[in-house]
Amino acid sequence: MNRRLTDLTDEELIKEFQDNNTIEAYEILVKRYKDPLMNFVYRFLGDRDACTDVVQETMIKFYLNKDSYRSFAKFSTWIYTIAANLAKNELKRRKRRTIYSIDNSDDEKSLQIEDKMFLQPDKATDGEIKNEIIQKALLKVKPVYREVVILRDIQDLSYEEISEITGLPIGTVKSKINRGRAQLQKLLKNIYEE
Amino acid sequence: MKQFYNEDEIKYSKLLNDLKSLPQIKAPENFEFNLMTRIENKNFGDSKLPKEKFNLIKFLAPSATVVAMFILFILFYPRTEEIKNEIAKQPSVADTQTLIEKSIASQQIQKPQITKTEKKKTLGSSNMNGSLEASNSSSANSKLQDFINSQRSVSVDDYLSGATVTNRNMQRGNVVKSGDDPIVDGFFVEKQTDKQFIEKYRAALDSLRKAQQKADSLRKALK
Repeated sequence: MNRRLTDLTDEELIKEFQDNNTIEAYEILVKRYKDPLMNFVYRFLGDRDACTDVVQETMIKFYLNKDSYRSFAKFSTWIYTIAANLAKNELKRRKRRTIYSIDNSDDEKSLQIEDKMFLQPDKATDGEIKNEIIQKALLKVKPVYREVVILRDIQDLSYEEISEITGLPIGTVKSKINRGRAQLQKLLKNIYEE
Repeated sequence: MKQFYNEDEIKYSKLLNDLKSLPQIKAPENFEFNLMTRIENKNFGDSKLPKEKFNLIKFLAPSATVVAMFILFILFYPRTEEIKNEIAKQPSVADTQTLIEKSIASQQIQKPQITKTEKKKTLGSSNMNGSLEASNSSSANSKLQDFINSQRSVSVDDYLSGATVTNRNMQRGNVVKSGDDPIVDGFFVEKQTDKQFIEKYRAALDSLRKAQQKADSLRKALK
């Protein structure tokens, strides 16, 4: 039975979960999407702990609101939409916290940077440093552009899928991706001028 | 390295290759365990939104607002005929304008007759024709007199030929504004005659007439 479930598509699995409340189908879907979602949310938020929480929350929402999924949509776009919304909410919550926080001292920031920059000397290669720089630059891009750039250029989703996830027309998606890339390129001009 | 064919993608090819080669972030090993534990313990936090109970007042509020607005609109709708906006009212010039247009139209019909008679006049035609001309011109002029004060206007042709020169018509404004075309002779405010004044003179005239009648009757008696 389990073997057969793994052969099913995402849409077939969610249907199985909806109709028969098969928890195995749910687990297979979690296994399939936990890593892509982690990657997407991490690139968007830049924080591993927060990213784990957001993906957990996404899976919980999926479990609780399984019936709100309609079969005409792709499962991947549906789950990405949930994750994207939660990630955006988290970003807003963080901004609010930064604005209203009394002890918004530099200690927290320096600790964050220290954590990110911690690289073992033997593993600290040029590529890893470059990746760190790119991730930092990505976080400086406006969230509206960052989201679509990650979905397109890191997650490798199609324009149609991104349009479905963001709820924007394809033309808008394309222009936002272009603007996001331009912003990123500008931020990384030191790397690409060489 | 991935090949790009789209123009935009070629432009950012280096950046796109670097983005694609970023390391994939993986979920922690205990991710699924923690998740399933949360589900088993029903520890959903605020993920499950409580379903709102049906509230009749909330349900009816929008439609009630619309109905109330409609009733208020009917009750307090400003009726145009009741309000007289003196400022917005068109001045009486508009009325005279239409009169002018009407008279121009009527005059255009009669104009050929007038011109014919004028020609005949210059050729020195008979008195009969002259009387006809007079009747034609009088009918045309009577319509014009509806809005042109004949005493305060003058025909330029007649004025130049010296036919109808009167002291009254010598006013500059009248000379300039009058002529063949029926143009309104300015916007002069008409002075209203005092009613008491008229009554006083009427009474005087009546008493004179009575006195005359008495005198006539006495003369007849004496004869």
